[in-house]
Amino acid sequence: MIELSGITKSFDRPVLRGVNLRVPDGCLYGLIGPGASGKSVLLKIIVGLIRPDAGTVTIRGRDVFAMSDLELQEFRKQIGMLFQNNALFDFMTVADNIAFPLRRLFNLPEDEVRQRVAERLAVVSLPGFEDRLPSGLSGGQKKRVGVARATVAQAPIVLYDEPAAGLDPVTSQKIFDLLRAEQRAAGATVIMVSSDLDRLLTVTDRVGMMYRGQLIFDGTTQQAQESTDPYVHQFVHGIPEGPL
Amino acid sequence: MVEAAEPSPESAVGHIDEDAIVRERTGLAWVGGSVLDLLGAARAMYSVFVKTLYYSVRGVRRPGAVAQQMYEVGNKSLVFLCVVMGFIGMILVFQAGLQAKRVVPDLSLLGATFLELLVRDLAASISALMLATRVGAGIAAEIGSMVVTEQVDALRMCAADPVDYLIVPRFKASIVMTTVLVVLAAGVAFTTGMLTGYAFFDINPRTFVNMSMVDAGDLTIGLAKCVAYGAAIPVVSGYCGLSTFGGSEGVGWATTRAVVNASLAVIILNFFISGAGFLIFG
Repeated sequence: MIELSGITKSFDRPVLRGVNLRVPDGCLYGLIGPGASGKSVLLKIIVGLIRPDAGTVTIRGRDVFAMSDLELQEFRKQIGMLFQNNALFDFMTVADNIAFPLRRLFNLPEDEVRQRVAERLAVVSLPGFEDRLPSGLSGGQKKRVGVARATVAQAPIVLYDEPAAGLDPVTSQKIFDLLRAEQRAAGATVIMVSSDLDRLLTVTDRVGMMYRGQLIFDGTTQQAQESTDPYVHQFVHGIPEGPL
Repeated sequence: MVEAAEPSPESAVGHIDEDAIVRERTGLAWVGGSVLDLLGAARAMYSVFVKTLYYSVRGVRRPGAVAQQMYEVGNKSLVFLCVVMGFIGMILVFQAGLQAKRVVPDLSLLGATFLELLVRDLAASISALMLATRVGAGIAAEIGSMVVTEQVDALRMCAADPVDYLIVPRFKASIVMTTVLVVLAAGVAFTTGMLTGYAFFDINPRTFVNMSMVDAGDLTIGLAKCVAYGAAIPVVSGYCGLSTFGGSEGVGWATTRAVVNASLAVIILNFFISGAGFLIFG
């Protein structure tokens, strides 16, 4: 269970305003909302990369911000994350990027690391890209390498920030299906932020909608699609006129 | 599964008055806020320094990382530093000779005093100021770019502390290479000074090369400055890089802050080490 209680965060302006959220174990949770509504900041708060001004984050019964730096480092072995900008290390090859969590967190034999990197690259349809540098990849290819890195450690909790941004519709659907299949196989708890609602809502169990730093909707995917709330209805169905 | 909850958007969002939340600091609040910001930055920089020392001993060893940074800090700065110090040597001896000639007719000790000045202060301080611009800006820009592209967050997610991974190799490389570069730069400055003395004041090079005024205290102070500057530049500029906020504009600001703060650190350290040296060695 991922549980957020009263999360508040301001930079030069308020970004999150008392967000309460519960994501049950084994759930694929879609976090949606207009741009600058605080979704990416919320993901970074969940994994302890940003400290909230107020509120608590509890993952599997442990308060993320009560942990020491070393405890948090150890705890993050259980979490995979895809960043909005992919966050590929530009001084490393594709293979080294994907292998980085395995080498840093799990100290696996090098043969196994190479094998798992090759397997991940095949899964995201980039076989043979091991020795390429991120600077030589297209936006979509970078995104797929980012997905490979986020999933290589088979973590029980995975957070994806825009996993399909910059991908063509076919590859996008393949990525969503792949992430859904892997989440089901592993029983992982997944939070996925995406603007591609048509595809996102085909794979989610539950959906939360952020608006101006608050979680204004939390329910099942079907409830989101059938919601009569003017904000949710307008956003989910992509209607130009409305309160948003 | 948790039951669905649909709070009303109007009740949840509508009452918030953003103007009331975001207030500009004015008057005393501005002064107090600025002082608090400054203290916070100093504390954060100190924290980076302590972490750097800790990880220098207990951090993860990465083969080749320090050597690569030694190449970046040392080899790539060599020509720049030699050219600058070559001109500095010429200018200083020329100006010092002109002034000294008005007071004393004999310039035979010009080389000896120039060498003492180089060893005790100028070689290390001017070289460090040059390195603060070249190396400091590079470190801040590189780390700042990694911050805005979330690479630093990705490092943290993989249990790699950015101080250990990014600053420590630069810290170790900078201490070694600053010392090496300062010794070379001092040699270049002294050589060009000697040639200037010979060309303009007819000082025989055998007379100019006079080490009688340089003692162990001067060497100790010079070496202490090399180590202190070499340690300060990557820590200060690394901190500026890690505290980057925003996009490319933020990287620009981080780079500027790194150059200014690293140069300031060199000047302040110079003051304290020179003072301590004067008290200890005279």
